Amino acid sequence: MNYKVVLRVTGFSLFVEAAAMLLPLIVALIYREDPRPFLWTILALVAVAALLTLLIRDKRSRSLLPRDGFLTVGLIWALFSLFGAIPFRISGLFGNYVDCVFETVSGFTTTGASILTAIEGLPYGLLFWRSFTHFLGGMGVLVLAAALFPFLGLSSNFLIRAESPGPVKSKLVPRASHSSKILYGIYIALTAIETVLLRIAGLPWYDSVVHAFGTAGTGGFSIRNTSVGAYGNPAVEIIITVFMLLFSVNFAMYFLLLTGRVRQVLRSDELRFFLGMVAVSITAITINIAPTFERLGDAVRAAAFQVATIVSTTGFSSVDFNLWPEFSRMLLVILMFIGACAGSTGGGIKCSRVLVLLRSAKREVNSIIHPRSVSVVRLDGEPLSEATVRTTQGFFILYMFIIFGAALVVGLDNFSFGTTLTAVIACVSNIGPGLEAVGPMGNFAGFSMLSKIVLSLCMVVGRLEMFPILVLFSRNAWKRT
Amino acid sequence: MNLIIAGAGKVGLNVAKHLVSEGHNVTVIDTRQDTLDRVSNQLDVMCVKGNCASRNTLLEAGAQDADAVIAATSSDEINLLCCHCAHRIGVPYSVARVRSAEYADDLENMRVDLGIDMLVNPELATAVEISRLLRFPSAANIDTFARGQVEIVAFHIQEGDFLAGHTLAALTPKIRDLAMLFCAVEREEEVVIPNGDFTMMQGDKVYLAGTPSGINQFFKLLGRQSHKVRSAFIVGGGRISFYLVGILERLGINCKVVEKNEHRCRELAELFPHSLIIHGDGTDPELLTEERMEASDAFIALTDRDEDNLIISLSAHQSGMTKVIAKSNRQNYASIARSAGVESVVSPKLTTADQILRMVRGIQNSEGTGMTSLYRIADGRAEAMEFPVTSSTHNTGVPLKALRSKLKKGILIAVIVRNHRVIIPNGSTCLEENDSVIIVSCGSGVTDLNDIFTDNFGMRGWA
Repeated sequence: MNYKVVLRVTGFSLFVEAAAMLLPLIVALIYREDPRPFLWTILALVAVAALLTLLIRDKRSRSLLPRDGFLTVGLIWALFSLFGAIPFRISGLFGNYVDCVFETVSGFTTTGASILTAIEGLPYGLLFWRSFTHFLGGMGVLVLAAALFPFLGLSSNFLIRAESPGPVKSKLVPRASHSSKILYGIYIALTAIETVLLRIAGLPWYDSVVHAFGTAGTGGFSIRNTSVGAYGNPAVEIIITVFMLLFSVNFAMYFLLLTGRVRQVLRSDELRFFLGMVAVSITAITINIAPTFERLGDAVRAAAFQVATIVSTTGFSSVDFNLWPEFSRMLLVILMFIGACAGSTGGGIKCSRVLVLLRSAKREVNSIIHPRSVSVVRLDGEPLSEATVRTTQGFFILYMFIIFGAALVVGLDNFSFGTTLTAVIACVSNIGPGLEAVGPMGNFAGFSMLSKIVLSLCMVVGRLEMFPILVLFSRNAWKRT
Repeated sequence: MNLIIAGAGKVGLNVAKHLVSEGHNVTVIDTRQDTLDRVSNQLDVMCVKGNCASRNTLLEAGAQDADAVIAATSSDEINLLCCHCAHRIGVPYSVARVRSAEYADDLENMRVDLGIDMLVNPELATAVEISRLLRFPSAANIDTFARGQVEIVAFHIQEGDFLAGHTLAALTPKIRDLAMLFCAVEREEEVVIPNGDFTMMQGDKVYLAGTPSGINQFFKLLGRQSHKVRSAFIVGGGRISFYLVGILERLGINCKVVEKNEHRCRELAELFPHSLIIHGDGTDPELLTEERMEASDAFIALTDRDEDNLIISLSAHQSGMTKVIAKSNRQNYASIARSAGVESVVSPKLTTADQILRMVRGIQNSEGTGMTSLYRIADGRAEAMEFPVTSSTHNTGVPLKALRSKLKKGILIAVIVRNHRVIIPNGSTCLEENDSVIIVSCGSGVTDLNDIFTDNFGMRGWA
C-alpha cells in the first residue's frame, strides 16, 4: 500500500467537499437560516484536508497501484459520508449520528432512502445539501477530483473505473481527466435543462433545482412528504420521467451523438435492451393497473413514471405503487435488480451485465446440445473476453449473496419478508423505496441501528459495484508483499 | 521469355514445370539448398540460393533481363517486398502470392503503391470456387469466364437422364433454345469434343458452356435441379474455411466448422457469430455422428492433410451425402478420389498455378491476341480459354459454317461474348472484332487465338 499518495489524494478530494458545501451555505444565508452547521463542517473539512495535503509529502512521486486505488475510493467515500453527515447532526433535526450518516450515504450513493418521517418544514439549506449529495455522488466524487486536479495522477483508468457505474468499455478520449470533463459537462448541461423545464412547468426555482439534482444523480430525495406526486402536476411528472430515463442511459451515447456517430449509438445492444425493457414494462403495468384508473392516460403516466423511477434507480414516486396489483409490484422488484445502463448515474446490476449473463446462459444451454462447440459472448457485435464474462458472473453471484447476507441481518428487526428483502434490494441497487413498510410512502426510520449501518454499507457496496469495497475486506490487499 | 520464380514450394514448382514445358527460361530462387537441389534434378531451370527480396539475389537471378517475377514463397511480406524490389529493378511484370486475410481490405492500394501487377490469393480463390459449387449442387466443377457471364459446368450422366443413349443431333430439338452447349465429354480417361453424331452414355462426364441461367434451365430439364444447399459441414478451420464461411454466411448458408485447435476455434467464433464452431478432431467418426454430419446438405473437407480430407470425404460420400467437396493439393490423390465417387476436388495450389500461368501466357501474347482466362478441364487433358478478338485475328467476319474446314481438330468455339451479350454460336455466327471468345481445346498449346486455325503457321508447341 502506498499510504502517502492515498492520503494526499483523499485530502484533495476533501477540499472538493468543502467547496461543494459552500452552495448549501449560500442557500441557508439566502433563506436567513442558521449557517453554522455548514460553517463548522467546512472548517473541519479544510482543516483535515490541509493536514493531509500539506503534511504528507512524498518526494518520490509513486503512482497508484490498483489496490491503492480501491483503498482511496473506499476512504474517500467513507470520509465524504462521515463529514457530510455533520451538518445534519449539528442541526439536531435528523436524529442521532447513525441516522445522519445513513441519510448522507443514501445521498452520495444516489439511493434516496430516507429516515425522515416528515420532510416538509425542514430548513432549506439542509434539504439543499441533502439533494446536492445526489448530484455529487451521481458522477462520482473521485471522477470530479480527477477532472479538477489532473496533477494528482488520478488518470489511471482503474481508479475511474472503480467509481463509475457499470462495465464501461473504453474511455471517450485518450486522456482520463479530459474524459471526466466531457462527462461532467454533459451531466451539468442535462441537469440545467431539466431545472429550466421544471421551472417552466410551474415549480418554484428551489423545488426545480432540488428535483433536478435528485433526477440527475438518479437519487430520489424529494422535499415533499409524498415525493413528486405531491405537486399533482402532470407536466412535472412527464419531465421527470423523461429525464430519469435520459440519466439512466450510458453518457458515452450522448458524447457519440454530439460527435455525430449516430450509427454507433444505434448499434448499442445495451441501449436497445434498455429501451425495449422499459417499453414492455410500461405496457404490461399499464394493462395491469388500468382498471384502477378512470382515464387510460393517467394509467400510462403513472406506469411510465414508476417504471422510469425504478429502472433508473431514482426512487421518486408519483403514486403509491405499494398498493398496486401483485404483478406490477413483482415486475418493479425485477426491474430493481436490473437497473440502468452502464456508464450512467443509475445503479442496479446494469443492463449490459444482464445481457452478458443472459447470453452466457444461452451459450451454456447450447453447449449441452453441442458439447464441443466453441462460441463467444458478444456485446454490440464485439466479442467479449472470457475474463469479462467471468467477472460479470462473479459480480452477479456477489450481488445475490450480499443481498441475502444483508437481508439476514436486517431480518433481526422482525419486519415482514417483503419489507426486509426489498429494503436491502433498494439499498444495494441504490433505488430508495422498496415495498410495504419501506414503500414510496414509508421510510427507513423504523430500522434498528445495526440495520441502518448494514444498509449504509450495502448502499456503498452497490454504488461502487461490489469489487472495490470487497477488495478492502480481503487480507491479501493489506499484505506488504 | 525469362522468368524468375521465387520460392520453390508446391505452387512455384508447379508453375515452373509448366513454364519450362512451354519453352521459357526459368530461374528459381529459394533459401534452402536441398530444395534447390531437388528442383534442379527435376526441371531444366537455373537455381539461385538467397533471399528473393534482396536486390542482389534478384540481380544474380538475372532480374535486369527478366520479363516477369513470380513471388510464391510462404511469406506474404517477402512476396510483396520481392515484387516491389523487382519493380524497382525494372522487371515489367510481377505476381505476388498474398494469403493473409489481415491485408485483404487494403490489398488493391498496396498492389498499386508497390508497383505489383497481380496478386493471387489461393485460399480466397479456392473458397470462391467451393461457394460456386455449393450454389450449383448438381455440378462437379464450375469455371467462370467473361466476368461470370459464362460458366463451364461439369456433371455426370446418371441412369435415367434423357441424354443417355441419344446422339447430340437427336437431342438438339429439346435443348436448342437454351443458352448453353456441350463443349466436352470425358469418357474413360479420354476427352472428346462432341459433334452431332456423338452418343451420350451413362457415366460420361459432360462439360457444358453457357450462361448461368441457360445452364440452370438445362438442369431443370434434366430434372436435377436439386434442392439448394442450406447447410454446410466444414472440417478444418484454416484460411480457406475463413474465406468460405464468410462467403457462405452472406449467401445465408448455415455453416458448422470442426477445428482441432482450440485457440483457432475461438478466433473463428469471434469472426463468425452465425456459424457453429466445434472444437474437435474432424477425422473422428464419433464426433461427426454426434454433430450429425449427414443432416447437412454439403460436406467440405479442408484440413491441412490431403489424406484426411480424402478419407473423410469418402466416408461422407458413403454415408449418403450428395454434395461432397475435398481439398487436395496432390493430383494423384484427386483422381483416386474422383474414381471413388468424390467428384469435387479442389486444389488451392493448382488454382494458383493456373492463375499465374494464365497471366504469364497473357504477357507472352501481349502483342497478339492475349488470353484472358484459362481453365484446365478434365485434369488438364483439355483447356477452356478466353481470348479477345482483335484486328490481328484471322478469319473475322467468316461464318463458322465456312470456317469449319479451317479449324484445327479438337477445337471448339464455345461461346462468344459481344457487347456484354452472350452468344451461343451456330453455323451462321461470325467472329467480330472486340468480341470475347471462349475456346475449348483438347490438348494444350493454344496460346494465341490464331493458333486455332490451320492457316496459322506461327505455331508454338502444338502437339
